[in-house]
Amino acid sequence: MSADNIILIKPEELYNEASRLRYDAKEPMDYLRDIVGMDWGEEGLGALYYLESTSTGARRVLKVVAADRENPFGCAEHAFLPSVCSLWKTARIKEREVFDFFGIRFTGNPDMRRLFLREDWKGYPLRKDYDMDSNPLNMDNETNADVTEEYTLRPDGTIEGHENVVFSKEDFVVNIGPQHPSTHGVLRMRTSIDGENIRRIDPILGYIHRGIEKMNESLTYPQTLALTDRLDYLSAHQNRHALCMCIEQAAGIEISERAQYIRTIMDELQRIDSHLLFYSCLVMDMGGLTPFFYGFREREMILDIMEETTGGRLIQNYNVIGGVQADLHPDFRRKVKEFIKHLRSVIKDYHDIFTGNVIARQRLVGVGVLSREDAISLGATGGTGRASGWSNDVRKRHPYAMYGKVDFREITRTEGDSFARYMVRMDEIMESCHIIEQLVDNIPEGEFRVKTKAIIKLPEGNFSTSVESSRGEFGVMLESHGDKYPYRLHYRSTGLPLVDTMDTVCRGQKIADLIAIGGTLDFVIPDIDR
Amino acid sequence: MFDYYNLEPLLMWIHSTMCSLMPEWLAFTIEGIAVGVFIMVMYAVLAIILIYMERKVCAAFQCRIGPDRVGGRGGLLQVPADVIKILTKEIISLKNSDKFLYGLAPFLVIMASILTFSCLPWNKGGEILHMNIGIFFVLAASSIGVLGILLAGWSSNSKYTLIGAVRSGAMIISYELSIGLSVLTMVILCGTMDIQEIVAYQENGWNIFKGHVPAVMAFIIYLIAGNAEANRAPFDLAEAEQELTAGYHTEYSGMHFGFFYLAEYLNLFITAGIAVTLFFGGWMPLHIAGLEGLNMAMDCIPGVIWFVGKTFFVVFLLMWIRWTFPRLRIDQVLILEWKYLMPLSLLVLMVMTVMKVFGLVF
Amino acid sequence: MSTFKDYISGYAFGVKSLLVGMRTSMKVFMQKKVTERYPENRHTTLYIPERHRAMLVMPKDENGENRCVACGLCQMACPNGTINITSETRETEDGKKKKVLLKYEYDLGACMFCQLCVNACPHDAIRFSNHFENAVFEREKLVMTLNEPSVSEASQQSAKLITKN
Repeated sequence: MSADNIILIKPEELYNEASRLRYDAKEPMDYLRDIVGMDWGEEGLGALYYLESTSTGARRVLKVVAADRENPFGCAEHAFLPSVCSLWKTARIKEREVFDFFGIRFTGNPDMRRLFLREDWKGYPLRKDYDMDSNPLNMDNETNADVTEEYTLRPDGTIEGHENVVFSKEDFVVNIGPQHPSTHGVLRMRTSIDGENIRRIDPILGYIHRGIEKMNESLTYPQTLALTDRLDYLSAHQNRHALCMCIEQAAGIEISERAQYIRTIMDELQRIDSHLLFYSCLVMDMGGLTPFFYGFREREMILDIMEETTGGRLIQNYNVIGGVQADLHPDFRRKVKEFIKHLRSVIKDYHDIFTGNVIARQRLVGVGVLSREDAISLGATGGTGRASGWSNDVRKRHPYAMYGKVDFREITRTEGDSFARYMVRMDEIMESCHIIEQLVDNIPEGEFRVKTKAIIKLPEGNFSTSVESSRGEFGVMLESHGDKYPYRLHYRSTGLPLVDTMDTVCRGQKIADLIAIGGTLDFVIPDIDR
Repeated sequence: MFDYYNLEPLLMWIHSTMCSLMPEWLAFTIEGIAVGVFIMVMYAVLAIILIYMERKVCAAFQCRIGPDRVGGRGGLLQVPADVIKILTKEIISLKNSDKFLYGLAPFLVIMASILTFSCLPWNKGGEILHMNIGIFFVLAASSIGVLGILLAGWSSNSKYTLIGAVRSGAMIISYELSIGLSVLTMVILCGTMDIQEIVAYQENGWNIFKGHVPAVMAFIIYLIAGNAEANRAPFDLAEAEQELTAGYHTEYSGMHFGFFYLAEYLNLFITAGIAVTLFFGGWMPLHIAGLEGLNMAMDCIPGVIWFVGKTFFVVFLLMWIRWTFPRLRIDQVLILEWKYLMPLSLLVLMVMTVMKVFGLVF
Repeated sequence: MSTFKDYISGYAFGVKSLLVGMRTSMKVFMQKKVTERYPENRHTTLYIPERHRAMLVMPKDENGENRCVACGLCQMACPNGTINITSETRETEDGKKKKVLLKYEYDLGACMFCQLCVNACPHDAIRFSNHFENAVFEREKLVMTLNEPSVSEASQQSAKLITKN
């Protein structure tokens, strides 16, 4: 596969062009995969828009350069681009991310606050001219403003700014997080409630932001691999698989079939691992502490199997450019088969104690309904989207590794409620077992890793791959300028759109539902914050 | 012949001896203090036993082995060690809180719990507070606890505690209805409110056998509602740690928190103890009509052991429930009470009355 | 009437599902427990796979010689600056210049176990050991000099002990 096909568009035409693509009769590009902010130096600041059509699976990339670095419309001291958040809801939070890192303001986006960094952060760190010493360690408390800025483009080409209110004085705002048992990490949700009912949720992110994308720009390609396991630690294999695939495609490295088999099996093991943890955590969030341990008991077995082969339990460092780090452990095949047999025998307990339980049903059925249109517009991929009837499985739509050759069902449901999201993941566990069973006995002989050059340099161009991670589409967007370091390496976070979904699905529900919905959306915070 | 373990003669003898040695008022005072200390010690010891039991039982349900480090392989000293730790912890005072109510709340909770605790019929003649409306008093005294919870939530001046307290208030007030009705069902069966007489009524067979179908129903209703009264899962939404971090006692530390914790476990015991009194014959040994030898053997076991044994059995039942189910949501808790439990308990009450009138009970 | 029927059947379904749940939890209550008693089981049931990465070691032969040629590839490969190599250039007897390793410093506290150094090494001079009990009280002790005989041997010995099981 070659580099991405990129269509260059002028900023003033962006909205019309995007709108045309979005509502195209034949091939509507209704799914905005990601917006990747870019600093092309002399060429200027800008963004890449990765689009996909849910009906045909076709992908497009739009490139927009805000021509003048500081004065794209010749009117203000900041770069401006028109917002597309009225076409795709997910653009709202993605544009905030671009603003946070590049200082590009989007006219028409009602919420132009920083997303990951502190509100008093100076400068925009992913710009190439960012001064690394401009933000010494700040020990003050961060205060969150209750208002946000919106910029609109006047017909005469000038920019006008005004403030939007996030929470008014009448709102009873409860902080859920960043230190809270059920946010699964350091996520903070400012929640406005009316009695027990939720009126609005404003997620505040960045508590575990590590600047991985910035770090990547000074790491060689093999070194960047070390950080992917630390994004979504429950999709460590899949994340790394995506990056390895991207680099291999760009460098033209052909990997052996054995490595493909191993990667696929590992991805599916990881998916079972993640879904078991999902089950455990969801049940615990809903107050059932006993089934929590059932999930962990079985997950421990997967971790043991993986540790034997990869040497790690959470951070596994297994995929490398050209294959995998080490060959399968001699016991691997036997243990995997034993495990699947065991899992099939105990999964009934899981359903008996929780799925069938009247309390669980009451808590999940009909709670937090996400419509198919919203799921697509918000970019809520993975089990969440599939529960709303959007068949978005990358393994089916854009098969990679061995997925084109194995037989498996894409689990979809139509209800879109919490119970559907839960059942999709429970059924996927069995489906993953089915995939592994097809592969594990037929692993071909061959080398597990092909020799690569000591120093890997990629040709110039934009490359992107995506895989189905445990909780949605994980994408890697890479721009190479022919160096041994990436010019820009962006990851499509699976969790960011899911957190963005919270506000839509939780309104009008109860506080207890917020926890259940958060559990079923299944996000992992380090993956969101990167 | 049943009465050799009756404690009443012994206690009367102690009292008369004391009176012969000192004026009666002094004897009463000393006895009062002694009984008070005795209750406190029993309360603390039982709490330790219950917490240990909960940890071990919950561990077993969760495929774990539970505490096994402090105090030998059984971890017997883990809870005493935790008690010592909590005693040494600082009691943090909060800014902008209502200091008086904030300090008062845990004492209200523990006072309600101790008052109810004193009414339990440990043995024949082994009841500390004895009055002819005993079971009514138990219901009344246990309701003071919710006041403490509401005060704790309000005075902490925190949003989490407030939500927890309001939830708890709504829930406990609702479930008191079901508890009251199921207790009333048994009062109708026994024809008395006096706890000792309720136990005495069960001499020839426990209420759960005597009252058969409606009694079993009433027992199940009581178990569910009692679980809610004790703020335990699946009705622990007042403290719902996954939602409200710790609910009404989020802002409490040290022994103030310890009081809430203690009261929670003792309320569990009290709920079970009242259930045993009403349905399983209190301290009465198990008698099976016709098997005289067995009945004689059963009589040799002191009543206090019968009572504690049965109570721990019910406690285990409650723990089994707690460690199996997920938590309900506040509206579902209320729906369960008002749409399912309340009509059912009214029905059971009616059936019991009819059966009692027509002599259909044993 | 149908609502009343629904009410009753809902009642029955609820009670049944609760009983099924309680049966399941009681089944597990009776099962064997899965807890591992860690410090006690370290020589009995504890199993640390051989590939587990716990610390970097430098294997030595019988004479205490390592295979490191001080080329510095591992130092360059490390994303964290964990490895610090000090070497000097000596002249061998036949007149050739040769780099000799003086000090191979490895900071366990900064290591993220990505295995890039091991992959980079052309002579297999370093590898990861599964000796995982590396807690110390002072940070300075985490910086280890791997080519010193004492450090490396000690860790390799205990590593063997664990893999035996």
